[in-house]
Amino acid sequence: MMKTLAQERRQRLAVAMRESGIDLLLLYGNAWQADYLRYGADFGILEGHGIALIATDGAAELYLDSAVEAERAEAEAPLVRVHFAPDIARAVGARLDRLAGQRLAAAPRRFLPHYLADPARGFALDDATALVDTLLMHKSESEIAAVRRAAQIADEAYEVFLHSVRPGRRQFEIVADVEAYLRRRGCPDNFMIIGSGGKDVLGMTPPSERRIAPGDLVTTELTPAVDGYFAQICRTLVVGPATHAQQRAFAVFVEALEEGIAAIRPQARAADVARAENDVFRKYDLGQYTTSQWTRVRGHGMGLFADSKPHLLEDVNTGLEPGMTLIVHPNTYHPEAGYMVLGDAVLVTERGSEVLCRTPRRLFEVAA
Amino acid sequence: MRRGLISRSLTELPDAVLDQRLDRLRRAMATAQLDALVIYTNNTRPAGVSWLAAFVPYWSEALLVVPRDGAPYLVAALTFRVKTWIERTSRLGDVLHNPRVGLKAAQQIAGAVAKNAVVGVVDFDGLPAGIADDLREGGPDLVFRDASELFATIRTKADPAEIALATKAAAIARHALTQASGETLNVMIAGIERQARLNGAEEIYIAAAPDLAREARFARIEGEAALGRSFALRATVAYKGAWVRLVRTFCESDIAQQAPARFAHAVAQLPSERGFASGFDSWLIEGCRLTQPLEALMGSGFAATTPLAPGALVSAQATLQIDGLIVPVGAPALLGGEGEAASVLVDPL
Repeated sequence: MMKTLAQERRQRLAVAMRESGIDLLLLYGNAWQADYLRYGADFGILEGHGIALIATDGAAELYLDSAVEAERAEAEAPLVRVHFAPDIARAVGARLDRLAGQRLAAAPRRFLPHYLADPARGFALDDATALVDTLLMHKSESEIAAVRRAAQIADEAYEVFLHSVRPGRRQFEIVADVEAYLRRRGCPDNFMIIGSGGKDVLGMTPPSERRIAPGDLVTTELTPAVDGYFAQICRTLVVGPATHAQQRAFAVFVEALEEGIAAIRPQARAADVARAENDVFRKYDLGQYTTSQWTRVRGHGMGLFADSKPHLLEDVNTGLEPGMTLIVHPNTYHPEAGYMVLGDAVLVTERGSEVLCRTPRRLFEVAA
Repeated sequence: MRRGLISRSLTELPDAVLDQRLDRLRRAMATAQLDALVIYTNNTRPAGVSWLAAFVPYWSEALLVVPRDGAPYLVAALTFRVKTWIERTSRLGDVLHNPRVGLKAAQQIAGAVAKNAVVGVVDFDGLPAGIADDLREGGPDLVFRDASELFATIRTKADPAEIALATKAAAIARHALTQASGETLNVMIAGIERQARLNGAEEIYIAAAPDLAREARFARIEGEAALGRSFALRATVAYKGAWVRLVRTFCESDIAQQAPARFAHAVAQLPSERGFASGFDSWLIEGCRLTQPLEALMGSGFAATTPLAPGALVSAQATLQIDGLIVPVGAPALLGGEGEAASVLVDPL
């Protein structure tokens, strides 16, 4: 990735630390929750634990408990001093023991190895999660550019998905095609789940051995990353011609997505977007399908994590501001059609929003 | 996140295999006077829970609770909408859903076993701090003990099912690496990854040293990378919870042939490291002790943290110098019993 982006992030982090009186910041990461670590250490961790120590001058040290990850970090993040530490918690603890009198903080603190957060240690770690969350949510122009490129690749990858789905193919074979396309494009990471079948399907999961059948609804959430920044697209297709019931149901999702995006503007709250989406379902007496029994969130932030803050839910009052990137997706179950998904990546702008995905909001049909 | 095939095979991992593992664990728990055992899982540290219950999380986190008397159950942060998927891909007595998995697990143990039950926690020091706090909040009178050594002891020696799964993972990796063709590195990586996923890989990570004349360290390729006359690829493959690494150098055929033979000769002498003493620039042995699938166990760059146990599965990799060329090579291996040589599971070529 461009070193200017990594340096820019580190500089923002150092400024925020100085303003908060933090002398040293620990950023924890693993392959699931990798964004805090990547923000400060510019390393996309895949295996084991990683902990970056960031100083107020922007200098970064990275501790990794996987030997192959440490070697990879040396090659991929040359501006960071890398340490391989099989017992990472004790290695970092020993380092912190030497920093008496300094104010230490960690993010996300709840994920830190228990050993480091234990009150028995000779040091205390304040919780800097909210501080780093603010930086993760508010993207610079360079970060937005990466999300835009990821959204473009998401559109292209959905085209690959459309061509890959045909009767008889198994779900994991379809995902293999999409992943291969992304690697050809030089895109090393993706978050992707899939669903296929009829009204018995309640959501999406990793791919199974289930074979695509005529009449299936096939759903996917596809989320490639560029320079570590994820952008998501959600679409639904039918194998064969869509029924009137499926078309009617899908129209609700289109309307909900449009209303959700229309609610995005500076000063609006995450809750306003979720409410705008859900009001459409309520209008059609489908309000129960907006609850946690049927759906997890109505969208979420996107960035160095595929499922970033803020979550779009009616009880999340995070204010939206220019530079935030979101996926708005009113994905849920529809009693007449089954589980459907539809979502676009969106940038919050000074005047409202800009949709980053270009794929038509259609209920696609592929040959049965 | 995992996005390969996650599925339970009753042929490759029958109930009887999991039952025997649980029996061994329960006997060890009884000796240690533990009333219950708790193991954490996420997509980075899945290997403890997958070994006992076949559950592999594609995302999020969970705790497996194994009562000394009673069926193991999962407390998952994933929502109940994926309950049927979890049940389909795992073998569990029950699945409970709660975003605070530590709190729920502790409440469950305190309620069903005893308020002051003694609970072993695998890798307690490495448990996420928020979950450790929640365990204490949910069971203020529970007694928590680290159970890492107990767990490592019972799972170190691979059983036949584990060896079979690792051999299959190695075969997937080897076959995938044979698909390394095309004009650019990205096209090669795409072909390898597609083949591995089509063959049922749960996960595959490809790292490359694109030009061994300039750099022998492996990196994940983002964007484009220019290929040298000799280069190496490392495939890390998971298949139904078994993880292996295979490293192959693409270079002049004489050298390419020599390297695996010299490597296999050195591996055969494990757990002694003397096979790597001459002709190797570096070497690394990884294996699973607790929850991390491939943990560094010994290597040229650090002091051994854990003695290699007879009958353990490991992944070995090394770098040789042959005729002035740096040649990385690697393969999974099975360590021998007393007086037996270790053996690679598959030829990396």
